[in-house]
Amino acid sequence: MKLQTKQFYLYTLLFSMIFLYSCDEDDAVPAEENEVEVITDIKLIFTNKADANDKVEAKAKDPDGEGTKELEVSDAISLKAATSYTLTFEIMNNLETPGEDIGEEVKEEGAEHQIFFSFTDDAFSDPAGNGNIDNASDKINYKDTDAVGNPIGLITEWTTGSNAVSNGEFVVRLQHQPDIKTAGTGATDGDTDFNLKFVLNIQ
Amino acid sequence: MRIFFLLISFIIINSNIYSQNDCSLSVNGKVLDNETKEPLSSVLIQIDESQKFAITDEEGNFVLDNLCSYNFKSIITRVGYYDSIFQINKKNVTIYLSQETFELNSVLIVDDKEENVGIKTISQRSVNVKDLSIDPTQSLASLISDIDGVTFSSVGSNVELPVIHGLYGNRILVLNNYIKHGFQNWGKDHAPEINVSSAEAITILKGSSGVRFGPEGLGGAIIIQPNFIKLNNPFYLDLSSGFQTNGKGYNFNFKTGTGYKKFGYFLSADYIKIGDRHAPSYSLTNSGKEEKALNLGFHYHLNNFDIKLYYSYLDQKLALLRSSFFHSGDAISRALSSDVPLFIRPFSYTINEPYQLANHHFAKASIDWWYKENQKISLTFGGQLNGRKEFDVRRNAQAPILDLDLNTFDYLLEWNHSFSDDFDGLVGIHFFNQDNDNNPGTGTTPFIPNYNINRLSFFILESKRIGKSLFEAGIRLDTEKNNVRGRETNQNIFSDEFTKTNVTLSIGYQNEISESFSFSSNFGSAWRTPNMAELYSYGGHGFKTTFGLFRYYFEGSDVNTDRVIKMGKNLVSSEKAFKFMNELNLNNVKNNLKLSFFSNYILNYVFERPIGIYGTVRGPMPYFIYDQADVIFLGSDFSFKRKVSEKITSNFIINYLWSKNLKKKDNLIDQPPIRLSNNLIWNTNSFWKINSSEISLLPSYTFKQFQAPITISPQSLIDRSVNITKDSKIFDMKDAPDGYFLLDLSWKFNVDDFSFSFMIKNLLNKKYRNYLNHMRYFADELGRNFVFNLSYSFKKK
Repeated sequence: MKLQTKQFYLYTLLFSMIFLYSCDEDDAVPAEENEVEVITDIKLIFTNKADANDKVEAKAKDPDGEGTKELEVSDAISLKAATSYTLTFEIMNNLETPGEDIGEEVKEEGAEHQIFFSFTDDAFSDPAGNGNIDNASDKINYKDTDAVGNPIGLITEWTTGSNAVSNGEFVVRLQHQPDIKTAGTGATDGDTDFNLKFVLNIQ
Repeated sequence: MRIFFLLISFIIINSNIYSQNDCSLSVNGKVLDNETKEPLSSVLIQIDESQKFAITDEEGNFVLDNLCSYNFKSIITRVGYYDSIFQINKKNVTIYLSQETFELNSVLIVDDKEENVGIKTISQRSVNVKDLSIDPTQSLASLISDIDGVTFSSVGSNVELPVIHGLYGNRILVLNNYIKHGFQNWGKDHAPEINVSSAEAITILKGSSGVRFGPEGLGGAIIIQPNFIKLNNPFYLDLSSGFQTNGKGYNFNFKTGTGYKKFGYFLSADYIKIGDRHAPSYSLTNSGKEEKALNLGFHYHLNNFDIKLYYSYLDQKLALLRSSFFHSGDAISRALSSDVPLFIRPFSYTINEPYQLANHHFAKASIDWWYKENQKISLTFGGQLNGRKEFDVRRNAQAPILDLDLNTFDYLLEWNHSFSDDFDGLVGIHFFNQDNDNNPGTGTTPFIPNYNINRLSFFILESKRIGKSLFEAGIRLDTEKNNVRGRETNQNIFSDEFTKTNVTLSIGYQNEISESFSFSSNFGSAWRTPNMAELYSYGGHGFKTTFGLFRYYFEGSDVNTDRVIKMGKNLVSSEKAFKFMNELNLNNVKNNLKLSFFSNYILNYVFERPIGIYGTVRGPMPYFIYDQADVIFLGSDFSFKRKVSEKITSNFIINYLWSKNLKKKDNLIDQPPIRLSNNLIWNTNSFWKINSSEISLLPSYTFKQFQAPITISPQSLIDRSVNITKDSKIFDMKDAPDGYFLLDLSWKFNVDDFSFSFMIKNLLNKKYRNYLNHMRYFADELGRNFVFNLSYSFKKK
């Protein structure tokens, strides 16, 4: 009996030791993360090729990211007729300060991303037509390429036609195409990171 | 203190009311060889300290009658076998005897099952894992899904959650070795990380069983009973290996153990690898899995003490179907309207994103002190470390999108007491501690906050037998302190602290009306605090954007999500379930019929409901919130097992469940449809070199879910032809799939120490979709699968 009692106490002691150890609470807060999943601000910047100071900008803003606030698409795109522009993007998560440049990530993972465009028929003299969202092989003047030579679309060139366009349409669409992007993949392959419609005016 | 008096008076009342004795009970039993399962004749069964005895006939059967209770020790002896002491506590018992080997005249203590004090009146089913182990690669949930009233809800082939009477997730208690499995128990895509191959038996309790095992078990409990680590058990070694054609999967299993006079151990290890599986007409790209498991245990017996130590480790890498992960409305709309998955690649064992990595360490130590006959004090410690990482298709796919460590500790002190032969009970104190931490480096705001839960519980269960009637009653009080720290998407910190007190109750009655007919009835209540995902989830998780109970508030008719609400105002109440279950049991030589009816009324049931459509940079998306409403579940399970002839057994099962959201007068989503099955088992004679053989044919028909919510296609949400408001009904994005007929065939047989099994799942290669599988939106279920298994058992004679 003596041995038993001894053992019993021994184990009880052991248990209470484990007990005390695990009751040592921590009150750690999750570490701050650079949120790279959320895109809040997308800015389209058309720069006149003849005059670097002549810039036309359009913006879309989702003020609270995943929250319930509505998307705000502001600023119609008003371009000059018969003018050549370079289109670049600013893609940001501005929930954090300073903001997180998601455009930089898209560029780094260019082999998985492509931006597609659609616009009012023949609004531009180059590229002509209505863009490559409906048909991936339609012409867009991509000026950047990924590691295997396929276009990304963060830099494109546009020459407006000589006819005026009012209340036209300009759609940009970033597709994420991991493992599937090829020269032939189109705007319905993979998943959509953004899909935005702007008003296009050409005077 | 008041509670204490309440309990004391409870005990006194109980002991006063029932004091008559009726010695007309009888026990029917069977004695089998532990190894060969052959019936043993001429076995002497003697009741401890009495003159009563029985001797088994040629079939191994015996009858003991004129008994006063179902709680006594019997001494079992036969030439060539170990003497055994067996605790008889029910009407029908099966006793296994081990052949004598090197140590003569020692006494074997048979640990039939852990004590089931206070839960006998709850409708329950036990399955022997060995009987079901024809496919050792299947999950816990699929293993038990043939039981009446039980099914599983899944996300693909690898993530399967048990469902009891329409409830799943953390409304079901999953008890691994009697300790609640501590894992990320939220969402449909997290299944318990348990390898069942080392388990001995699994018991499913279909009523509220929270008094004994802890709160939250609104739907029932699943108890995975480990290797019992028997003493005086000769050395054994089991090796097995299998192959399956669908997914080109293979598995290895190794099991060994010995029981000496005072000491026993077991050790087992498992490895499973499965590649991409396939539906009848295409490959299910990225659906493989890899699993490693290790289990070990020690048992030390010293006079009145039994000390047991268990350790198990599981490591899983589970692929999720590539074609099921989309974040934009456009992509999901295309995926849903396509007949075939959008992403099909040739077969591969490689697991790419999306996938889950989980590992789970489980340790348990228990000391039982049998200070008196039938009376013991047990001290149990459980420790679990659960690590989970999930990888999504996204930029930075190499970093996990979720990286959580969850540590769980249980301390349990229990007193099993017996005031008399027919009056016993269990009193316990339980301390539970859980600590969840996010690991940095996910590149996204944590979906689940860091939190600590400390819960102190007290419970008492008493059971009293009067003649043919058994009465049970129990109560449990839990007080739980939660401390939560998380981040908002702008990385601001939020935190909260709240305390909840939950009560769990159970009252049961069982009557053995005659030899072959019994009735049981159980009423139980169980409470559950909403889980962390239901409280704190914010925004997108796949296509669905849902806000937790603390992440939104109404301002007029607008839903605002710009701040985190604190529990302080008591906006959120615990779910409170009241489950009433009745079961009739008819049992004779040829037939075993079980019919049960249940109702489960749940107050403050947490569910997701649509609230609106909002513009996002990805296009318009529907938004959901977690809300609470009162719901009711009504249903019936029926099983009828019949010995058609000497060799053929038929087992017919049908489940029916009806449920309704009472506040919104609306259907509930993801409820199991009606299913009926009829398993035919043919035991052949031994022939050629085959010692025993069993052929089983399982036809089943699953009906279309006729209670499904309305369907709204994602396309009509994107083009805003359907508008969602806060009065909208719950909707599904695709119609419930049609009913389907399935046929499974299996054959297992033994040749000496070898046993073979062969199974064809989905024999007809039926193309179908399962309403409870989340992948039904994107792909068909698995096509025909041939499963082969070979095992070798060595036992020292």
